[in-house]
Amino acid sequence: MKPAIMRQMPEIAHVDVNCFYASAERVFDPSLEGKPLIVLSNNDGCAVTRSPEAKALGIQTGDPWFKLAPRAREWGLIAKSSNYELYGDISARVMELLGRYSAWLEVYSIDEAFLGVKGSPEHLLDLGRTIKAVVARNVGVPVCVGIARTKTLAKLANKWAKHNPAFGGVCRWDSVPPDQQEALMARLPVIEIWGVATRITKRLNAMGIQSILDLKRADPVRIRERFSVVMMRTVLELQGTPCIPMEEARIGRDQLIFSRSFSTPITTAQDVRQVLSVYAQMASGRLAKHNLQAKLLTAFAGTSHFNARQAAFPSVCVPLPMPTADPVILTKAAHALLPAIVEGTRYARAGIMVTDLRPSGNQKPLELFENPHEERHIGPLLEDITRRYGRGSIGLGHAGIRGGPDWTMKRGMRSPRYTTHWEELPLVKAA
Amino acid sequence: MGVIIGPRVIDAGLSLHLAWLSPVPVAAGYPSPAQDYFDGRIDLNAHLIKDITSTFVVRVTGDSMERAGISDGDELIVNRALEPRDGSVVVAVLDGELTIKRLRITPGGVVLQAENPKYPDIRVSALSELTIWGVATRCLHHV
Repeated sequence: MKPAIMRQMPEIAHVDVNCFYASAERVFDPSLEGKPLIVLSNNDGCAVTRSPEAKALGIQTGDPWFKLAPRAREWGLIAKSSNYELYGDISARVMELLGRYSAWLEVYSIDEAFLGVKGSPEHLLDLGRTIKAVVARNVGVPVCVGIARTKTLAKLANKWAKHNPAFGGVCRWDSVPPDQQEALMARLPVIEIWGVATRITKRLNAMGIQSILDLKRADPVRIRERFSVVMMRTVLELQGTPCIPMEEARIGRDQLIFSRSFSTPITTAQDVRQVLSVYAQMASGRLAKHNLQAKLLTAFAGTSHFNARQAAFPSVCVPLPMPTADPVILTKAAHALLPAIVEGTRYARAGIMVTDLRPSGNQKPLELFENPHEERHIGPLLEDITRRYGRGSIGLGHAGIRGGPDWTMKRGMRSPRYTTHWEELPLVKAA
Repeated sequence: MGVIIGPRVIDAGLSLHLAWLSPVPVAAGYPSPAQDYFDGRIDLNAHLIKDITSTFVVRVTGDSMERAGISDGDELIVNRALEPRDGSVVVAVLDGELTIKRLRITPGGVVLQAENPKYPDIRVSALSELTIWGVATRCLHHV
């Protein structure tokens, strides 16, 4: 192969936003710049995102807020409740922008994406720097870019770019001399690699595989025998052979979960019924939006892990009579949990999950089994009204009860929804 | 959890006007002459927003930009992607706050001016000393 052709081999760029939630908060509140900042999980439970300054204080992901709060003033620590509408909009802007740099974009999570890229090494590094600069200018959040022949190496290159300031936020794996690549891989434990879970790490360690370099040098066939084909792919990807393709939309084989912790525990079957109704209708709307139907619904509730005396985690799995997105059927199915609910027990969370999803409408059910509600498009209608008039403006049965059900989330420290609500626009001072 | 967005139109500024429904009732067999000329209602987004990824709406508090026609409570359309020039109305970060000013770039230095004599100018020696958040393109003034 001629070198000129070699240079045109397709590569993969992995782009992700640094400390995404914290960075999104800082776009509209520059006073947060340089200060230790954490964003809390649902219900203001624990730290889910930490700014570098918060990391420097020794705060860990998952630290509960009630433990940090007493010392926040002394540390100058600022905490924000999750502002999902803001993060969702900022994410959408970043992804739209990334899509301008590659015809193939795989949105991997709210703050990261893979892009298919092609060009000479210099061109690819330039592209990485351009992406970084344009996202910072247009949207206002910092990103790092890792570029490599495989997704696994692109992720690793990105991590390297984040930790080593010498890269300026952009690292192309093959542009780094091999001895430096090996030194890095020898230093990092296998747990640092994408797709390697804690449980697997223990088994790898038992085989004498400690570092990423050890894993790269492992025999792929032996790894497949001991673990799985998934793990073998990781080994091959570390060696530079692309094995994890750019994904087609996988949402169809996935699942949808709607589950929250409550600000105050709920204790009656009536309240649980209301929660399940709301989530069933949210699931219906989401399914309809993606043209999907579910075949299985799981409803669950649970007491707090801090409440050992009353521990109860009832759940039911309900096979649906036919693949459906119908809100009435999903709501009814979710209510199958109710007989398992014990009055007086303090439930701290509840939710539903729909699985076994399939595209709607490619197999027409027999007319006998056709569902009367779906014909009337109740699900999309509910979703449409909700979108226009806000969550809680309409609902079926028990989800329709208004007047602040007290199980909704606690979000006392949420910043304004700057980009999605006209009443909450960012303020600029004319003074 | 991946969602792929396949090959797509790269230029975000490009909008296609496809077939729109006619706003005028059409008698069967007798097409309205207006029908051929209807191209969709005026879309404020299309006219006021050049780049959806970099455009934000902000609300003004205070009276320092009165002379530029920007009043307390007005909304501004701000594009972060525009290059700030001499004369631009900019959102600048001053003491950790988003602040609206007129930018003046002169041989003698860079000045952030208020459009109200009650407020003093802010002078710096180079643009690089300032953090410009974005450039205002329109004012939605309440009349």
